Amino acid sequence: MKPNPNLDELLSSFIDGELSPRQRTEVQRMAAHDPAVARRLRQLQNCRTLVCALPPAEAPGDLLEQIRQSLERKTLLQEQPVTARRSAGVVHLMFRRFVAAAAMIALVGVLGVVVYQIVAPVPGMQTLSPVAVNPHPPQPVPDLGGPAPVPVVDRGFSGRLELATAAFAQVDAFVQRAVESFGSVETAHREMAGDRRVYRVVGTRDSIHRLMASLGGVWQEFDSATLHVSELEGSAPVTIEAVTPDQMVEVVARKSTEASVETAQMYAAMNWMARTMPGREIAPLIDDEDSGSLFASDTIPMPKLAGPVDTNQATHAPPQGTAPASLTIVLLRSSK
Amino acid sequence: MYLRAANINIDDSVLVQQSQTGDTAAMERLILKYQNRIYNVILKMCGNPDDAAELAQEAFVKVIESIDKFQGKSSFYTWLFRIAVNLTLNHCQRSSRTATRSLDAEETEPNGETARVLRDCLSDERAVDPAAVAQSREICELAKKYLLQLEEPQRAVVVLRDIEGMDYAQIADVLNIELGTVRSRLSRARSNLREILESMLK
Repeated sequence: MKPNPNLDELLSSFIDGELSPRQRTEVQRMAAHDPAVARRLRQLQNCRTLVCALPPAEAPGDLLEQIRQSLERKTLLQEQPVTARRSAGVVHLMFRRFVAAAAMIALVGVLGVVVYQIVAPVPGMQTLSPVAVNPHPPQPVPDLGGPAPVPVVDRGFSGRLELATAAFAQVDAFVQRAVESFGSVETAHREMAGDRRVYRVVGTRDSIHRLMASLGGVWQEFDSATLHVSELEGSAPVTIEAVTPDQMVEVVARKSTEASVETAQMYAAMNWMARTMPGREIAPLIDDEDSGSLFASDTIPMPKLAGPVDTNQATHAPPQGTAPASLTIVLLRSSK
Repeated sequence: MYLRAANINIDDSVLVQQSQTGDTAAMERLILKYQNRIYNVILKMCGNPDDAAELAQEAFVKVIESIDKFQGKSSFYTWLFRIAVNLTLNHCQRSSRTATRSLDAEETEPNGETARVLRDCLSDERAVDPAAVAQSREICELAKKYLLQLEEPQRAVVVLRDIEGMDYAQIADVLNIELGTVRSRLSRARSNLREILESMLK
């Protein structure tokens, strides 16, 4: 009979008592009615009997002792390596700490040598200050918007004003009253020699400025007006021919000798150009814009020359300061 | 013999609890209680007494070392045999010293009374007498050798069922397999064992 796996499983479970009562009843019925099933059941039972009949073996008598010794060996093997590992670990840790400390000391030493070579004084040379220390006191940072303001020392103003007029007596009387009535003038000296009057006035820029401004009232009587501005003693003065009262006031109003000289040079050039360039005959019209006669003239009008600053008197504040200023007024009688 | 497995759990839980508290005497009682059965199962599976002794020793050492982790999800009995059987199966897979080689080397034709008893075992007409088998030393040796010719998984279920006397559920618990697998594997093992015996007597 060829083995049937499903039947063998059922019969094997029947032999082992692993079937339910209904299954057991069914197997018993099958075995009773089928000789092949009964034969296979007997074969499997005999096979099982053969294995079950094998005598049981007894464990060695010293198994318990062997187990105990095995545990002791394991304990010893576990403890000894742990101790050894701990000792080795401690030694290794100490070695690493020692190496780390040595490395740190060496690093500090190298850095110290480097720093010493940087800051050490050079033999035979003057001792230098430490690199990080600025030996010089800090200087004020200049204004980047322009040159630093240089304190200007006003050495005063010195000028000579030469005036020529046909109305000599009237103008002389006017100038004399102006000089005498001008209270702020410190000293005034008048020389009289024929058709020549010399007034020497010494004061401040402010007082000279006001004196010049007061001369504007008789300015139309002058046939010529020339201002000489001296920069330094011994140096050639700057001459402004055909000077106007506004130009004089502007020159005196400067805050320094150099500025006054520069302004005088500028007006000297302007007035020279006005005299030499074409159309100089309309110069009076240029000065008087409101005359309305400009358009009636046949000559092309010259543009009004303007200085670096507005010559309007109202815009020129009186100069401040106490620098000495002197003005010599020479009044001449013109033959006109 | 089949009743042994049914009565082993009576005091196991108490001994296990005592062992978990550090009571070495309780653990020794557990060892003494199971050492022969553990050794017998291992020996029937591996076929070598020295290996069986060493494996049994190793199994109990593992039990002692792991007794604190035993949570009682399964019985101590199946837990103990699971450790021992797994160690033995791993050993058999690692080692080439299986009973097959020794059987091949010492394979001899059964003679005389031995052959007659074996023919009775294979007889379809009548059941074999267990007492006669047990009394024949030669029959027992041959049966052990033929048993070792089974593959390890089949040999394990046969040993656990027919020698240790476990039921299918316990076998499934020890081997961590399904109950149906135990049933089919045990059926095939017995069928194969009969074929081996028949081949020897032909």
